[in-house]
Parts: sequence; structure tokens; C-alpha cells
Amino acid sequence: MAADPRAELLQKFEKAVKGKTVAWVPVWMGVLEGEWTRVMKAHFDDYGIKMVTRDPNMKSDVQLQAVSSLINEKPDVLIVQNPTTTLLARELKRAMDAGIKVIQVNMASNQLTDAYVGADVPKLGRMLAGEVIKACGGGKGSGKISILQGEATAAYSLDMVKAAMEVFKTDPSIKIVSSQPTNWDANKASDITTNVLQQNPDLCGIFSVWGPQTVGAAQVVKNAGKKGEVKIFVASDGQPADCDMVDQGLFTKNLSYRADTQGEAIANAVLTLLQDNRPAGTTQLAYYTTNYWVSSKDDRQYCFVVPKE
Amino acid sequence: MEPIVPFTLLLVVFVAFIVMIPGYTSIPQLQQLMRSFPEQGFVAMAMAVSILSGGLDLSVGAVFAMADFLTLYFLMVLEWPLPLTIVAVMGWGALIGAINGGLIAYAKTRPFLTTMVVLIILRAAYNKITGQYAVELAGASSDNAAWDYLGGGFLFGIPINMVCLLVVGIVAHFYLTRIRSGVHIMAVGSSRKAARHAGIDVKWSLFMAYVLSGMMASLAGILYAARQNSAGTDTGVGWEVNALAAAVLGGISLSGGRGTISRALMGAAIIFLLINGLVQLGTHGSLTTAIIGAILLAAVAFNVKFVKNKGKLLQKIYVTPSLVEFEPPASIARDSGTVFAENDRLKNAEAIALDKIEGPEDIILDEHDHLYTVNRNGSIIRFLAPDYEVREEFARIGGRPLGMALDRDKNILVCVAGMGVYGVKPDRTVFKVTDETNRTWYRFKDDSRLWLADDLDVAPDGKIYFSDATTRYDLSDWALDGFEGRGNGRIVCHDPATGKTSTVLSNLAFPNGVCVSHDGRSVLWVSTWLCRIYRYWIAGEKAGQLELLVDNLPGYPDNVNRASDGTYWLAFVGLRSPVYDLAMADPAFRTRMVKQIPPDEWMCPGINNGCVIKFDDTGRVLESWWDPGGRSHPTITSMREHKGYLYIGGLENNRIGRVKLPNGDVNWTGWKSYWSSNGQNNSGVAPSNVRPITTAKAKHVSGA
Repeated sequence: MAADPRAELLQKFEKAVKGKTVAWVPVWMGVLEGEWTRVMKAHFDDYGIKMVTRDPNMKSDVQLQAVSSLINEKPDVLIVQNPTTTLLARELKRAMDAGIKVIQVNMASNQLTDAYVGADVPKLGRMLAGEVIKACGGGKGSGKISILQGEATAAYSLDMVKAAMEVFKTDPSIKIVSSQPTNWDANKASDITTNVLQQNPDLCGIFSVWGPQTVGAAQVVKNAGKKGEVKIFVASDGQPADCDMVDQGLFTKNLSYRADTQGEAIANAVLTLLQDNRPAGTTQLAYYTTNYWVSSKDDRQYCFVVPKE
Repeated sequence: MEPIVPFTLLLVVFVAFIVMIPGYTSIPQLQQLMRSFPEQGFVAMAMAVSILSGGLDLSVGAVFAMADFLTLYFLMVLEWPLPLTIVAVMGWGALIGAINGGLIAYAKTRPFLTTMVVLIILRAAYNKITGQYAVELAGASSDNAAWDYLGGGFLFGIPINMVCLLVVGIVAHFYLTRIRSGVHIMAVGSSRKAARHAGIDVKWSLFMAYVLSGMMASLAGILYAARQNSAGTDTGVGWEVNALAAAVLGGISLSGGRGTISRALMGAAIIFLLINGLVQLGTHGSLTTAIIGAILLAAVAFNVKFVKNKGKLLQKIYVTPSLVEFEPPASIARDSGTVFAENDRLKNAEAIALDKIEGPEDIILDEHDHLYTVNRNGSIIRFLAPDYEVREEFARIGGRPLGMALDRDKNILVCVAGMGVYGVKPDRTVFKVTDETNRTWYRFKDDSRLWLADDLDVAPDGKIYFSDATTRYDLSDWALDGFEGRGNGRIVCHDPATGKTSTVLSNLAFPNGVCVSHDGRSVLWVSTWLCRIYRYWIAGEKAGQLELLVDNLPGYPDNVNRASDGTYWLAFVGLRSPVYDLAMADPAFRTRMVKQIPPDEWMCPGINNGCVIKFDDTGRVLESWWDPGGRSHPTITSMREHKGYLYIGGLENNRIGRVKLPNGDVNWTGWKSYWSSNGQNNSGVAPSNVRPITTAKAKHVSGA
């Protein structure tokens, strides 16, 4: 019987992926994580891959437990979003030692694993910092910048701020008046910004590592009557609310790394690892996602749409 | 009793997840659960200690988080050795505890507000500092075998942090229940005023409770740091609330003093298993939180209801009847011809102290013929010889004095229900003999306290043997103990020479009257509910052996005292009846009765009669003396022979009876019989019809 090479390929593919189990542990089930989950699930259902989700709801100790328990359940692939660089590091190594292939999404740990899917975070930092300098540097305005970090020990926030600082150092007119963690919380961002604005009424720009937390800061700026005066630059996963903020002029610029396409990238990384016969821990693949500037209504396509349930 | 509630809940939760989650009971999964739980357990313990002391420590979560950070900082940034790090961090916990305790105990601030302020300050400091050192910590790691072992090692398959929790938990349990300063913490929590009256240093105890709380929270921080290697901003956030919830779930009273470490741990384990299990089931995070909230709300509601109805519930389930099988006793019918046949020999007893006494449970006479008796109000009353018309309060002890005895120095020794054994010197000064016995090491319940010291006697070597009739009921409920028919009592020995008290026989069914035999070599004691007289050898070759001397008495025996002719008097506090015997043989029937009808309608032993019998060292019953129907002397609990007369006391009576004995030795007195050199009446009767009981069995003399 003459083998049909295309049919064979499909057969090989199905043998590699069908019925496999993927476990997914985000930090919590927010809008961003929901979008990743939605896209992944659509793909996995299509390929016949089983997906289990564990939602620790922003509790790092619970997340650690969840990952540890999953290691005992031996899924084929484990996908995690690290709240900090250190929390899961040990367990990720243990997972790979146990033969589970590990993918880290957007927020990495100190432990390299089979694959990383997500933004090239330092690049995000450099791009955003470049825009900030364009707006506030070189003697334009006061040059005073406030940095809103996320969780201080999260790789995403850490690396982005670190890369941005290097860019800021190139322009002596830039003064960082505040650089504080908000723990992803809009209320905290609003408190910080209130204080910063009181001490520096001539603030020129706000550099924020993540859209949703910046809403609080943007409101404070608006209420102080400084909308447009204080430029706000954010990196974001492209959730609709962030694009709305740009539409309303509350964010100056939003650098979107698009959770929807990231979700597809995660699915692809899973397919790669499942079809790769080498044991867990051999590869260190990276799937860096592409960033898009959202500066006005015209860039709406770079924000995803949450489908109506 | 109450630990059963959280324990059941814990089992239910655990079994539910076994059913719902595949592989839940696999070894790695169980190890994982054990690895993840201890820190929360420690924080719950820390909270529990503060609550038990009558306060609250809301700073535990923040102390824990700070300890977590400090451990990482000392170890990884400053690169201190691990032992130094551990000592320093524990010191940190003690320091915060000292600040909390100092303010609360010495400056008299309110625990809630004080620890909340400390929580806010620490939390703010934590956020500031972790922000400061985030970058350093994020990249730091420690290559230290001991450190790795602390974070991921096993001891006999149990994660090392769980081993720590178990060890510290057991130590803490013993500390709070057996060690003086720990018991003081509990006492202060139960009632600050009473603790102060008892001479406890209330302030120091409170202070120590918070120091301990801080140290436990810090220990959790160290273990957490070893396991997680991270000081995230959410570390310890809300843990104080979870710990508080654990305490509530475990049934620890928020008003202090009631609860145990194990209950706090059970509460913490329930919460931990719920969150862990729900996450493993893939529940959405907000739903998990909502479920936990709902369960806690239900627990609080249950607690409120439970505390309110605890009395009712206890009444229904506390009494646990056991099987006591009797054979029909000898007849007491007037015409039966038995030695127990009813007669009228006490009918015309002359009444002494009529209406001048309430409940003369025991009486005793001294060498000057003065008559001493106990009174319901906690006094020893003396009626002066010769006519016993003059009444005076000889000494006031408190509690409910019962059986009495005279020692060599003519002190009156007396058993006091609810207090222990006390003495009154001839000059009327009251002294404590003992109020506790040795504690059974393997029991959770503290059984070192004397509940119902009932009767006592003094051996020739000065040792005091006394009965602690039941450790489950107070004097007011003594009849309920009979309803159980269990071995709830014990015989205890106090040695004045060493000041030591120890239990010599335990698991006895209401040991009541105690009398040292005429030859001074054994102690006779009766089991009221089993209607038996036992002999416990204290000297000679049989020392330490127990024998059944008389079985199947027709009445419920109470006090035993020496008679002038080398025999013994015994009071029947009540009479057996066929119906009651039948009920004793059917525990299920009695259980139903206890559950379904109010106590005042329960069956009760027949106490409306008066009967005293005489028996000898061989166990032969020689005669009986009756007051038919108990018109003057119902519920006779004691009788004393003195110079040819027999004096009669009763637990509920308003008089002391006196009858002339036809064959009584008119020179014989109790004190002489015990303590004068020629008083030792060695009748030398070799007991023949007694069966020895092996020591092993003697430990569990019950109705079987």
C-alpha cells in the first residue's frame, strides 16, 4: 500500500499530540489570563489535547501548591505564569526532572525551561523608554518621570524597568522622581501618583509596565487637570480597556503585546514540545511575541476583543 | 468532647477530596500536602496562643512575612551562616512579640487595636523593604545543603517542615497543658481575675503568650523562606484572617482560655485542604474564595449555636451508660431469715443536733468525746460532749467536706468534694493535704485534679488513702455517675513524708468508703455501684494486690469504719431493686432514658431507707441494723462506733443518730484503735473465702 505522505504526516502529528494533557497555572484568571486561556483552549480542543487549569487567585503560596500537586499528576506539558522570579523556580526544575516539559508565559523565573512564550520584556522597556524620551527628554518639559512598576520581584516588571533605566540614563535631562511597585493594583497606582503629583506638579511623564494598573494613575492625572500635560506610556497585553484609555486620551501611548496572538504562540510551543521526542529540559526555546503601538482609535486592531459568552 | 466537631469536619473534607480528585491519596500528593501546610499551621498556632491567653494577635501574618524576608536577606544578601540566620529571625519574632506583649500586658492597651497597628506598621515596612531589595533577592540564591534540606528534605518520608510542625505542636500542647507557665497562660485566658487571685503573674503570662506567638510566626517565616525562596508582596497577606478563621473552625473560644493547639491545627488544616482541593479541582479563584467565606460563616454560626446549646447537647450525650450485670442479691425481706432481713434496730435512734446540721455525710469523735461532723456549707461543725447541745463551727474549709479521719497527731483529715484533701489541726488551723494526684501521661484530659474526694483513712505508716469517687461528675450529679456504672473513679494515696500523691488504683466504679483494716496491712474500700467490698493490700507479702472481699450486696455501700470487736461497719446509702438492676444490665435502655426524658424523671437507686451492716475480715456479713423506710435516717452514708454507741450520719439528713450497742466496748474509741499501742486489734483471722484479683485486672475493676 502506497503511503500517502500527507496523511502520514497528520498521523504522526495526531500520535504526538492527541490525548496529551496540558496543565496551566496562571497567577490568577484576570482578563489577560482569560484571553490566553480562551485561545489555548480553542486550539487544544481542536487538536484533542486535554487542558487542566488551576487558578490560585493571586496567592503565591496557593500557586506553589498547585504547581507542586500538578507535578505529581504528571501532565505532558506544564504552562506557568510566574508571579516572581524565584517562587516557582525550584518546582519548575523538579517538573522537568520528572519528565514534564515546562513553558513559561510572559513572566519568567530564574529557572530556564523548555520554552518561554511572551514579550521580549527588555525590548518593551527600551521601546517605551524611547517614547518617553521623545516626549519628555532633551529639555522638553521638566524631564521628570514617574515609574510605575508591577510586582517588584516579577521578572516582567523587573526586566522592563531595568532595561528602561538604561535608556533613561542616556539622557541626562530625564529625572526619575519615583519608581515604585503597584503590585498590579490600580488603587495603589493612584495613591502613588497622587503623591508624586503633589511633590512634582511639573511631572512630565509616567512610565508604567502594565495597562490595567495605570488606570488609577491616569484618573489622578485627569482629576488634577493635567490630562495631556502628563504623558502616560504603558505596556499592555492589549485588553480592550487599555485601548479605550488611549481612545479617551487618558493613555498617551500603549505598547500592546497582544494576548490573543500570545495565546496562539503558547499553543504552538505546546505543539512543538509534544512533537519533539527529546526529554524534558533539553531545549530552551523562545517564542518572543511582537509588540504593536496603539496611539489612537486607528490602532484598535492591536487590542483583542473578549467574545460575549 | 468538642474536638470531635473540627475533627469530623476535617475528615469529611479529606474524604470528599479523595472521592473527587483522582490520585489524591498517592504518596507524592500526600507528601505535597504535608509540605505545603506547616507554615499556615504555625501561624494558626501563633494566633491560637494569643487567643487562648484571652487576647488576639493580628500581627502574625506580618511577622511571618517579615521573618520570611529577613531570612532570605540575612542568608542570601548578607550571606550569614544558616544557624545565625535562624537565631536572628527567631529573635526578631520574640522582639515583636515583646512589643505586642509589653503594650498589652504592661501598658494595658487593647490586644485588637495594638496588634492591628503593629500589623499595619510591619506590613508597610515589609512592602517598603521588599521593594528596596527586590532586585537583589530576585537574583540571589543560596547553595547550602542544610538550607535546601529545610526547604525540600524529608525525614522518614515526611517533609521536614511538617516534622517541625508536629514536634513544635506537641511541645506547645504539653506546654499549655502541663508546664506551669503555659498553664498560667490558659488560666489567664479563662479568667484574669481568678488567675490573679490564685497568685499568677498575669502580666508576665500575657507577655509570654505574645512572645511565643511572635516566635511561632517567625519560625513559619523561616520554613516558608526555605521552601519558597521568595518574598513576594502577597506573602502573609490575609494570613492573620485565615489563622483567626482556623481558630474559629477549630472551636477555640474567642473569649480565651478554652481550646487546644490541636484544635487550631485542625481548623487550619480544614481551610488549607479546602483551598488546595478547590484549586486542584480547577475552581475559578473568586469562587474558591467565596466558598471558603461561606464555610467560615457557617462555622461561626454553628459555633454560636453550639456554645448556646452545648449544655443541652452534653446532657444528652455526656452520660454513657455501661453494662453492669447483677445476680439477685440476698433477700432483705423481714421474714427471709437472712442476715440482711429488715428489722427495727435503728428505728428508735436518738436524734442529736436535730435541725442544727445540714448533711452530716460523715461524723467522727475525738478522745474527749466531742462530735465532729461536716456541713453542707463547707464547714466542720463540732458538738460538745457530753450532751451535744452546744454547736460551734470548728473550722471552715469551703467546698463540700465529706469523709473524715483522725491522724496520729489528732488532726482531722477531711475529703472535700471539688477541692481535695484538707486537714484541721486541734488548734483549728486548716491546712491543705493534697489537691492533685499524678497525671496519666497518655491522656489528653488533665486528670490530675481531684473531682470528688469522698472518704479517706490513715495507714499505720501515716500514708493517707482516699477515694476520688468519679472524675466525670461533680457531687451534685453523683447519682448520674451511678447511671453510667463505669470505672470513673480511683483510689489515691498521699504520703505526708514525701508530700507526693499518686493514684494506686484507677478505673473503679465509684470507690466510696475507705477503711484501713484492723491489722493495718490492707485498705478496705467499696465500689458503690457494683455493690462490692474490696481489699487492697498495702503491707506484707500481698502488698499491691487487690481482692474482692464481698460481692453482690443488697444495697449500695458507702462509708466503712472500724467496729470495737475487730469487725467493720458499713453504711448502705441506697437499696438495690430488681427494676434498677435490670436497667443496669441494659445500657441502651438507660441511654434512651437519658436522651428522652428530663433528669428529674430518671430512675434512681432507692435511697429512702436506712441500713447499716457489719462484716468481718473474712468477708462474712454478721448483722444488719435498719430504720425501715428511712423515717429518721434515710440515705445513711456513715456510722462511727464510740464508747458503746453507734453514731449515724447521712448525706442529706438534718440530724445525727445515736443508738446504744448491746455488745459495744464502752472504752473503745476510733483514735485509740488506730494510734494507741494496745489499740491494734490483730484478730488474726485468715481470710479464706476471698478471691485474689491479679494486679493487671485490678487496674480495671469494673462491672464486667
